[in-house]
Amino acid sequence: MRTVLYETHLRHGGRVIDFHGWDLPVWYEGIKAEHLATREACGLFDTSHMGEIFVYGPDGLALLDSLVTIKVAELKKGRGRYSFLLNEAGGIIDDLIIYCLEEGERYLVCVNAGNSDKDYAWIQQHNAAGARIENASDAMAMLAVQGPTAAAVLKAAIDFDLASIKRFGVTELETLAFGQLIIARTGYTGEAGVEIFLANAYAEPLWDALVAAGAKPCGLGARDTLRLEMGYPLHGSDIDESTSPLEAGLDFAVDFDKPDFIGLEALKTQRAAGLQRRLRGLELIERGVPREGQDCYVGDKLVGRITSGTALPGSNRGIAMAYIAGDYAEVEVAVRDKRLKAAIKQPPFK
Amino acid sequence: MNIPENLKYTKEHEWARTEDGCVCVGITDYAQHELGDVVFVELPEVGSHVEQDDTFGSVESVKAVSDLFAPVSGTIKAINADLETAPEAVNEDSYGKGWMVVIEPDNPADLDQLMDAAAYATFLEAEAK
Repeated sequence: MRTVLYETHLRHGGRVIDFHGWDLPVWYEGIKAEHLATREACGLFDTSHMGEIFVYGPDGLALLDSLVTIKVAELKKGRGRYSFLLNEAGGIIDDLIIYCLEEGERYLVCVNAGNSDKDYAWIQQHNAAGARIENASDAMAMLAVQGPTAAAVLKAAIDFDLASIKRFGVTELETLAFGQLIIARTGYTGEAGVEIFLANAYAEPLWDALVAAGAKPCGLGARDTLRLEMGYPLHGSDIDESTSPLEAGLDFAVDFDKPDFIGLEALKTQRAAGLQRRLRGLELIERGVPREGQDCYVGDKLVGRITSGTALPGSNRGIAMAYIAGDYAEVEVAVRDKRLKAAIKQPPFK
Repeated sequence: MNIPENLKYTKEHEWARTEDGCVCVGITDYAQHELGDVVFVELPEVGSHVEQDDTFGSVESVKAVSDLFAPVSGTIKAINADLETAPEAVNEDSYGKGWMVVIEPDNPADLDQLMDAAAYATFLEAEAK
């Protein structure tokens, strides 16, 4: 599959790879240059492969509330919150952000690319009341503008004042040049900035305007190193249907005082019993690059496995996330034919 | 793509340059471009012996790990220790500061089995198809 910006990526010299069925650029100039540009100035990412599901009306609100781990009804207009869809066992079907566009009337659920069909089917499967739900993933593009100079870029490109919304805030903006924009102060890099949802037809003009205003096109490679540096989990790698939000240390997105949602009982049981393993940050003490799937040891004892790893652009420090059973200050990672020492460290790794 | 005339090339995208009876080895401009930003280079011990076409180390970018293959059999005479702290030299100057090892060949005729610049250019064109 291709996003609406496929030709634009080629025009910018993007190195296109297959990412879970999507042809997307892994880099344009290089991962290091793009990572550092986002940390020091402003990066621009095509995240149009992400899914957008709109949920409408009081029945829609009740439906969402029965499925996700947060109290959706408490979201005020213009606010978003990170949350999960869980299976009955408390495993993570997807992590997502719910934005309240109108209280009790209109919600935007932003879900992971590879999961949008599955999520939509799951929501519909529980939609006994027949609430109106729309999977707009194919019709909408999404751009992320991230970095310390994002405010200036947004002002110049779309005359939008970043300070007008707080972190996890969302607003709608009608523009002549780019149509109706949904602008959310969220992102996957740890930097200031926004994610902009818009109709496919306006994606290329908006992309060009943001580049002209100083944003640097960034590929999936930098998107991954930036999120790993912050310790943000990636669904399909660090979290999935076999892991729970508690094991992943994402308790902040679970409202235990909710009366019910799918997976709540399982989480309560897990919490009472104690966790067998936790998602931890690892930083290699020795030189090397940790990678997904490598085992972690304490002495001869296998204590965990890496779910994501990389070398940080710039410093080349090896960092990773891994599910570790037990409390340790240090583990050894089996990197290729060697055992390399790694310190357990709470992200961010900046 | 930069393919210097005076070097020999392998199908695994290493280059080899004869210097005072020894063979200096690195990866080609094409290889560094394909890998992207190099973040780690693992090299053998000085004094160890390598066989032609066997792996003698690895080069890692943010996204990929790639083995390094010896263009000739012989003894490792020197390694580029600067790559430990500055692996980006492989991207910036793959035929110069990005050199990796110097091998004293068991049999200098091994070099004759490698491609010259023109053959490597043809090889790359064929790979691209």
